[in-house]
Amino acid sequence: MYLERIDGLTTLPLMDSPLLYTAPAAPSVRGLVQIETSPRELIPSRPLAEGEQYRFHFDMTKCIGCRCCVVACNEQNGNPAELNWRRVGEVEGGYYPHTQRHYLSMGCNHCLEPSCLIGCPVEAYTKDPVTGVVVHSAEACIGCQYCTWNCSYGVPQYNPERGVVGKCDMCHNRLSDGMSPACVAACPEGAIAIEIVNVADWRRDYLAANAPGLPSADDSISTTRVTLPESLVPDLGRVDTNRVAPEHPHWPLVFMLVLTQLCVGAFVALWLMSFNGAGANLKIAALASLTLAGLSLGASTMHLGRPIHAWRAMRGLRRSWLSREVLTLSLFAGAAGMFAAVLFLGLPGRFAAGLATAIAGLAGITCSACIYIVRARPAWFSGYTVAEFFSTALLLGPAFVRALDQKAPSALLLVSVAGGVAQLIVQSGKFLWLSRSESFELRSSSLLLAGRLRTLFVTRLAILIAAGIVAPMTAVSPWTIRGAFVAAIAGELLGRYLFFVSVVPKNVAAAFASGGRKAA
Amino acid sequence: MRTLGRSFQNLKRVIGLDNLAEDYKYARGESTGYTSAKKIPDHWVATTCGYCSVGCGIEIGVKDGRAVASRPLASHPVNRGKLCPKGLSEHYTIGAENRAKVPLLRKSGKLQRVSWDEALETMVDRFRKVQAKYGPESLGVLSTGQLVTEEFYTLGKLVQLAFGTNNYDGNTTLCMATAVSGYKLSFGSDGPPGNYEDLERADVVLLIGANLAENHPILCQYLEANPGKTLIVADPRVTKTAMMADLHLPLKPRSDLALINGISHILIRYNLIDRDFIDKHTTGFDELSNFLAAYTPEKVAGITGLSQDIIFKAALLYGRAKAGFIGWTMGVNHSTIGTATVNAICNLALLTGQIGRPGAAPFSITGQCNAMGSREASFTSSMPGYRKFEDPGDRAELAELLQIDEARLPRKRGLAYPDIIEATVAKKIRALWIVATNPLVSYPNQGLLRHGLSNLDFLVVQDGYHPTPTTELADLVLPAAMWGEKEGTYTNSERRVSKVNKAVTPPGEARADFDIFLAVAEKLGCRDSLFRGWTRPEDAFNEWRRISRGRLCDYSGIGYELLASHGAVQWPLPEGAAPEPASRLYADGKFKTPDGKAKLICADWTPFPEQPGGDFPFVLNTGRTVEHWHTRTKTREVPILERLSPRAWLEINPRDAKRLGLRSHDAVDVISRRGRTRGIELRLTEITAPGQVFMPFHFFETNVNEVTQSAFDPVSREPNYKQCAVRVELSNPNRGERRSHR
Repeated sequence: MYLERIDGLTTLPLMDSPLLYTAPAAPSVRGLVQIETSPRELIPSRPLAEGEQYRFHFDMTKCIGCRCCVVACNEQNGNPAELNWRRVGEVEGGYYPHTQRHYLSMGCNHCLEPSCLIGCPVEAYTKDPVTGVVVHSAEACIGCQYCTWNCSYGVPQYNPERGVVGKCDMCHNRLSDGMSPACVAACPEGAIAIEIVNVADWRRDYLAANAPGLPSADDSISTTRVTLPESLVPDLGRVDTNRVAPEHPHWPLVFMLVLTQLCVGAFVALWLMSFNGAGANLKIAALASLTLAGLSLGASTMHLGRPIHAWRAMRGLRRSWLSREVLTLSLFAGAAGMFAAVLFLGLPGRFAAGLATAIAGLAGITCSACIYIVRARPAWFSGYTVAEFFSTALLLGPAFVRALDQKAPSALLLVSVAGGVAQLIVQSGKFLWLSRSESFELRSSSLLLAGRLRTLFVTRLAILIAAGIVAPMTAVSPWTIRGAFVAAIAGELLGRYLFFVSVVPKNVAAAFASGGRKAA
Repeated sequence: MRTLGRSFQNLKRVIGLDNLAEDYKYARGESTGYTSAKKIPDHWVATTCGYCSVGCGIEIGVKDGRAVASRPLASHPVNRGKLCPKGLSEHYTIGAENRAKVPLLRKSGKLQRVSWDEALETMVDRFRKVQAKYGPESLGVLSTGQLVTEEFYTLGKLVQLAFGTNNYDGNTTLCMATAVSGYKLSFGSDGPPGNYEDLERADVVLLIGANLAENHPILCQYLEANPGKTLIVADPRVTKTAMMADLHLPLKPRSDLALINGISHILIRYNLIDRDFIDKHTTGFDELSNFLAAYTPEKVAGITGLSQDIIFKAALLYGRAKAGFIGWTMGVNHSTIGTATVNAICNLALLTGQIGRPGAAPFSITGQCNAMGSREASFTSSMPGYRKFEDPGDRAELAELLQIDEARLPRKRGLAYPDIIEATVAKKIRALWIVATNPLVSYPNQGLLRHGLSNLDFLVVQDGYHPTPTTELADLVLPAAMWGEKEGTYTNSERRVSKVNKAVTPPGEARADFDIFLAVAEKLGCRDSLFRGWTRPEDAFNEWRRISRGRLCDYSGIGYELLASHGAVQWPLPEGAAPEPASRLYADGKFKTPDGKAKLICADWTPFPEQPGGDFPFVLNTGRTVEHWHTRTKTREVPILERLSPRAWLEINPRDAKRLGLRSHDAVDVISRRGRTRGIELRLTEITAPGQVFMPFHFFETNVNEVTQSAFDPVSREPNYKQCAVRVELSNPNRGERRSHR
């Protein structure tokens, strides 16, 4: 009867209609919360012109923090309670009784430079050429969650039940029918509206996209305009800053990163050693490294919400470091296979195959690191990330070869020790940088490492020093060397775990008590 | 085969072939527009929201016999196409797992399933036995503000005339009884004079102890639609509503009576009063004037902690208003001098003639969806139709209308809610019937309540949910249908009567309270004499219309057909009259006192009973949050509301916290002379003044009423929830480890 199936979420079925973006005089249909006293004020009444797009306007002077928008959004999109595409945060400042408290209701900011879209390896995101709405396709999505790391506002949210991400799409399918988005319609105070913005003008001056409790609009040029109350107190700020919880560890990625880095280090070592004609002895190490590389790459698909679609991940090569990582590491695995075959069968072309392996591997580590260099995760957004990954390769790769092959030159151990020292410098330097920072996210990362994660962090450093630096220099028996190597891997895995859990992402201010975590 | 199919589905999901696109698909519904397909109902049922007394029109979306969506009822005059977050998710309360589905009787210590027949037989039998042994008054009944008016009327007759006990009261005594008492003393009758439209038409709105933005957010629309007004908010906390104010009066806890007297003092002193109105329509001006002489700005500034300057400012703003509106809620009502404070508010309105005109009203904003219906029809604090137990004329009239012997009507009001509880402690009440309320969350000083209930011979709890902290103690649990599953009417704060309709069938064997009451009457053998020919709520409503005819709360012109054709209408509506869009009481200046004049009452301020000091240095204030409703019995079943407000918190000023070495998100205990509430998440905030702490009362897991006190208003018997002396400690300091909610 009325169930008209819409195929795919990215389609605008009425796109070709010239009347598309005009509000009808009297909407004949109403939504779950779609009854409006003055629809014209809250959604645009004229079509978009060239160079324009839709955006949200949020009026902080009107919002009373009732969270109707959050509930309406969840109902509109049929989302479980744990996912909130629209959220309401609190900011507070001043001193009693001259206290100021305000609320910040945020969906997606439909940015001019959407970082979610730029990072997506499968091109699941599109910025609609007409409306400017950033739309995500649950069909195209493979659940890599890279967009959730890229957005400074925490907008894309992973739905573990579905294995895909979802986000606010400004209810553009309602807009195209002349109806308000659910949040706009539900707000008793008329604090949320859709308006038209000239893209070029906004790019020149987007100051009004900033507000207390919001990350800087510089990251991606948010289009949401915020009307702020007059005479805000200077200390007006988030109320959720004392509740910093460790992030998700992403275990498959912890293993994938450490093991691929180990393999790259090992193959570079093998290649360099092969100049000495030590070829025959390297067979076992090469095979082991290759197996490890294959396993770790395979295991990394377990991180995906939809592993079967992993093959799609190279679609976004033009923009996405994740696509590039997939490409370079696949090339690395291929080249390493060839190199191993050459070594194993004693075929010619050892130098070329080894060179290709080394180049692809080093490019792979670089791409891996670039994935994490995102503005939305300040503790990752630095050269320390690159240095940390390469140090792991330097520490573990040569040690692996030496551990498997007693005849390999002991110089390998010295190289490994250099890797260990580098990692120690990287870790200490990063911690000092974090703890001396003025930024909330960086400081909080250091507080996590020094507080809740302290035991793990100290253990990580202790293992690094003992197994990565002291043992290789002093150990003589093969079994001590192997034991030290295993400990060093464990140390690096722990380090990478801490890398993931200790990052404090940028986000929109949250409410004081939100989340549904159980009481202590 | 099915297991195999499911495993295959799971496998498809795990490897990512299936992303539950079918569950998450969208569609365009005729009545909804583009939205989640599973939220598009087969049809909508128009009804009235079952939470607070704002009384919003709401539609329940029904799909395959289940409630799947809620949306505002577009045509309803109150909510203007909006709902609060509780209303927007109200359909989740119906289909909850935790619903009471079958009658349960305690047999050898355990609640066991029984038939309705056995349940009601046992109930009547046990009640009768207790009454035979200890006298008819040994049966107590505690009801609610959640039932429909038809059910209140039915229950009132059943309890007072059939069970023959007057120890019957509603949980409305924990809520707005103070407003009732105050109105009765000042105006001669209960009944809020103004309406919501007044918020829009006033040029000065004074809110006292009322946090509309948190508790009645839909009413904020009326303020928003009145940009020319001056909003004054008197509240010790910087509430969301205080943030909306043009002038916030951050007064000391419970100094509001002094503030109002101080304002009246200033207005009289500077002749900003309406002498003409006072002379024509009030008595007691000279006494009041002399009495208020003591409430000088200096003295009031001392009591309230406000500067004289700001007191003058507030007084002059209100005194010069063309239409001045005073709204109040629990900040005033939850107090041992609540009734006096309401009298002082009424004085202020009367002195300035700010009553009965558009925008001008002393207006109590009520709590529960049908607290008003209970005030008018329930036979608790007065006889139906605001009739007084003690008034011979009222008694004769009611007996005549009910066609009963006048002697069957109780001579006086029975015990009020807190006195019923005290009587269980004293073993004077030996059996108790609790209907649609959860005192194990809401009653102050829980220790005493538990003691009292443990003394009972038989406890019946009739509720929509099981288990609740209260049903767990019951000897008999009667499963009741609830909002969305039954029919009747609610009356909101502005006296507007709205139809409540059935959208879905109740779960299991749950029955509408109306049917339960009639079935009990049947067992008692009085169904034919008291409820002759009644089969549906409308039968009760039609009798209630007849009973209320000619009273201030005249429903005689309101029928189900009118409510269906015209929507919600306000009382009074005599038979044959046309509904007005916005009616006001006392527009003619005639009050319901014997001489037709309102009384100016000398209401003296006294400090609240348990002052902070010594081991208990903080004043504990209690209140609500927008996501939850009262005892959270309903809202804890709504996942999105639990997500938004998962647990209680304690607000403390950072200056106090620093002194005590406490940090944000610490788990703390709040301790009073009566008890301890454990493991509350601490919030350091400048919302709350130094020396005060605040905590929401919704959460049974961390129940603030473990520490609140047994102190009650002498007239209304309402508890003094809002102030008691406490200290705050880190939870489990002996474990050496700091517990935290971080």
